[in-house]
Amino acid sequence: MPSILVLVLAGGRSERLHALGRMRPASALPFGGKYRVIDFTLSNCVHSGLTRIGVLTQYAPLSLQEHIGIGRAWDLDRRDGGIRLLQPYVRQRETNWYRGTADALVQNRNVIADAQARHILVVSGDLIYKMDYGPLIERHEARRSALTIVTTRSPEGERDRYGVVEADTAGRVRALADRSGGAADEKISAAIYLFRGRDLMERLADPALGPDLVHDVIRPMIHEGLPVYADPLDSYWRDVATIPSYFGASMDLLRPRPPLNLHDPDWLIYTPSEDRAPSVLGGGGDVTSSLVAHGGRIDGTVRRSILFPGVQVDAGAVVEDSIVMHDTWIARGARIEQTIVDKQVRIGEGAEVGVGTPARRPDTLGDLESGLSVIGKRAEIPARARIGRNAMIESGVREADFESTELAAGSTVRPRERRRR
Amino acid sequence: MSFVAYAMILAGGVGSRLCLLSEKRAKPAVPFGGKYRIIDFTLSNCVNSGIFDVSILTQYRPLSLRNHIGIGRPWDLDRKRGGVELLQPFQGWTENDWYRGTADAVWQNWHRIAERESEHFLVLSGDHVYRMDYRPMIEAHLERGADATIAVAEVPIEQASQFGIIRTDEAGWVTEFLEKPRNPPSGKISMGVYVFRGAALFQALESDAEQNTGHDFGKNILPAMVGRGRVAAYPFVGYWEDIGTLDSYYRANLDLLRDDPPFPLVDARWPIFTPSTESPPARIGARAHIRSSIVTHGTIVNGTVERSVLFPGTVVEEGAVVRESILMGETWIGPGAVLDRIICDKRVHVGRDAVLGTGPLIPNRSCPEHLSSGITIVGKETRVPEGIVIGKNARIAPDLVEDDFPAAGVASGDVLERGSGAPSAPAGQTRR
Repeated sequence: MPSILVLVLAGGRSERLHALGRMRPASALPFGGKYRVIDFTLSNCVHSGLTRIGVLTQYAPLSLQEHIGIGRAWDLDRRDGGIRLLQPYVRQRETNWYRGTADALVQNRNVIADAQARHILVVSGDLIYKMDYGPLIERHEARRSALTIVTTRSPEGERDRYGVVEADTAGRVRALADRSGGAADEKISAAIYLFRGRDLMERLADPALGPDLVHDVIRPMIHEGLPVYADPLDSYWRDVATIPSYFGASMDLLRPRPPLNLHDPDWLIYTPSEDRAPSVLGGGGDVTSSLVAHGGRIDGTVRRSILFPGVQVDAGAVVEDSIVMHDTWIARGARIEQTIVDKQVRIGEGAEVGVGTPARRPDTLGDLESGLSVIGKRAEIPARARIGRNAMIESGVREADFESTELAAGSTVRPRERRRR
Repeated sequence: MSFVAYAMILAGGVGSRLCLLSEKRAKPAVPFGGKYRIIDFTLSNCVNSGIFDVSILTQYRPLSLRNHIGIGRPWDLDRKRGGVELLQPFQGWTENDWYRGTADAVWQNWHRIAERESEHFLVLSGDHVYRMDYRPMIEAHLERGADATIAVAEVPIEQASQFGIIRTDEAGWVTEFLEKPRNPPSGKISMGVYVFRGAALFQALESDAEQNTGHDFGKNILPAMVGRGRVAAYPFVGYWEDIGTLDSYYRANLDLLRDDPPFPLVDARWPIFTPSTESPPARIGARAHIRSSIVTHGTIVNGTVERSVLFPGTVVEEGAVVRESILMGETWIGPGAVLDRIICDKRVHVGRDAVLGTGPLIPNRSCPEHLSSGITIVGKETRVPEGIVIGKNARIAPDLVEDDFPAAGVASGDVLERGSGAPSAPAGQTRR
């Protein structure tokens, strides 16, 4: 195989993750009961034999840094290559945060050049999919492509988020439009780009280059008539940088025949496994259609839900159609429906979240109109509180922050004295 | 220097009372509690007590133990100074012999102890389930100026005859050490957890080595040291289980499932470390019923599971019923199969509609003393045929395939070995 450098774009702040994205980029979101989103991309890389990887981070990189460490979980602690986190840094002249995806690459030009890779695979770290990059690389080489754009069909309901790839019958890309028009059979960009190394390096060397990879690098390459090809990915693919898409992709895992199988022994998703005891399902517990990670204690009812490590569901509590992250405690008699609960949350005895009918939200949280509620990290829900649907409980909310224990659908609760981020 | 920073763990025993479980592995390597091996408890006790310099003495079937321990990373024992090492018998210039007993194992490796700076050190057993901070015991040992200190637990007197019994005077000095007496005077027993002053142990081992004894700590060394003087008892309070027999192994596993378990696996202050397998979270299907059970990563449950321990990668298909059973890693239970009080070793395959653990309670004919409480045990990687009926207290050997089973099934108390199945029927003509 030709030498390949992988650059994972994992730095973006995802406004549309709201409380889930306060402390982490989408790529660091916990997913599937024990993983983080970026694990899917990293596992694709190692299963494809690509072991020279740079992860470009900027926004709230600590959780990613801790997660990736020296890359041992992926066998990426290597003498040659391996994984490196590329954070913006101060230099003698002109110091800047990454102003965009292209700028992030420009600022790491030296690192990219040092790798002397024949091709450079630039991928978003916010994607859930399984893909062997090997055949892609072969076709890219066979076509003598300057750039190959992996395409997919847009998932339902979210078409306006993706760029549309227009290609001729031979696969030659003619245009990359900004947003999808909404047709179901459109090919959209999967945010997986394979560049011929010298073509990308040439462009990064241009002092007048704009900050955005799609707008300032990819589109000009198409317009200038360089050989840019589309390469379809036919299997499951989701971008999970919004709350509805994250929730939808999570629930897809619980289908009787999941479109993405975590249990496939030939394509395991690697992640640093936490040291936890096995989960105990108690005498009164009742769990169906769910994923349960280690370290949990379940004495209540859990249906169609994903429980991350260390979740405790007490007797009489009910969790339905929800995602519950690490070490959250759902006390006796509490009830959670259609809610994403971040880490270390405490749901008090008999509290109800997400029960009832959804309401229109007055603010910009249109994403929650589907009826989902979100409870941010380390929030505390008072005992016997009744919180209606599509609620947003910000991270760090204490019991004292609740003006009332009865909250209508579509409510938001913030900590009274908001610390500066 | 009076500090203790080194432990030797005795992990070489055959564990014959565990029947099949230890046929292919040393007793400390027997899987326990859903994801652990028995030695994890002692190793975790060491590192949680601040002891990061550990030697493990192995002899019998050390490979699975060696794989499990590796370089000791899960216990933070991959260290530049100290860490963990496995000491296997070896051929030397002058001496070369297998270990003749636990005491001989330590004696043959005395050079490892001599290299250490500390004057005192721990000798531990690798086949017990317990949480213990060794530091207070070490302090008591040093304060008293003892030659040896023995951790003492109290068990019901009817079980005491399997252990070494300790008698002490009022000051807590040991006056008598009776190894496995027929009529134990009390339930105060030695846990196999010792602190020794190096010089005192050296003397005892040196004189024992020249004699024709069993070279055993419990039988020979400690009784001899008690005769000579300064051996102290250290009372231990808490859960402690010697996984010596199949019954105690089974009971200790099922104890974990109680709503108020005597030994909770989760304890943030005293975690039990083990290498975690790389597998996805447990997947529980729409028609699953799980009660009072342990599930681990990689398991898939679509049937009914009650009061059972499922190790990683176990699959229970729809309509299958698993009750009061222990299923080790990667076991597959086919649709409609029913298991009652079964211990399946790793990678067992139970065909659809097979019924295991039914019928009269007849003790096993080859080991009635260890297999009589109704538990049936299936050896590693055996394939149990579809629709077969297997009784209680049966013993099914490892590595059997469907054709090794007689069509009439396996009666309670029977033993099925390769070739003992259908003696008269020619191969391939047995059934189906």
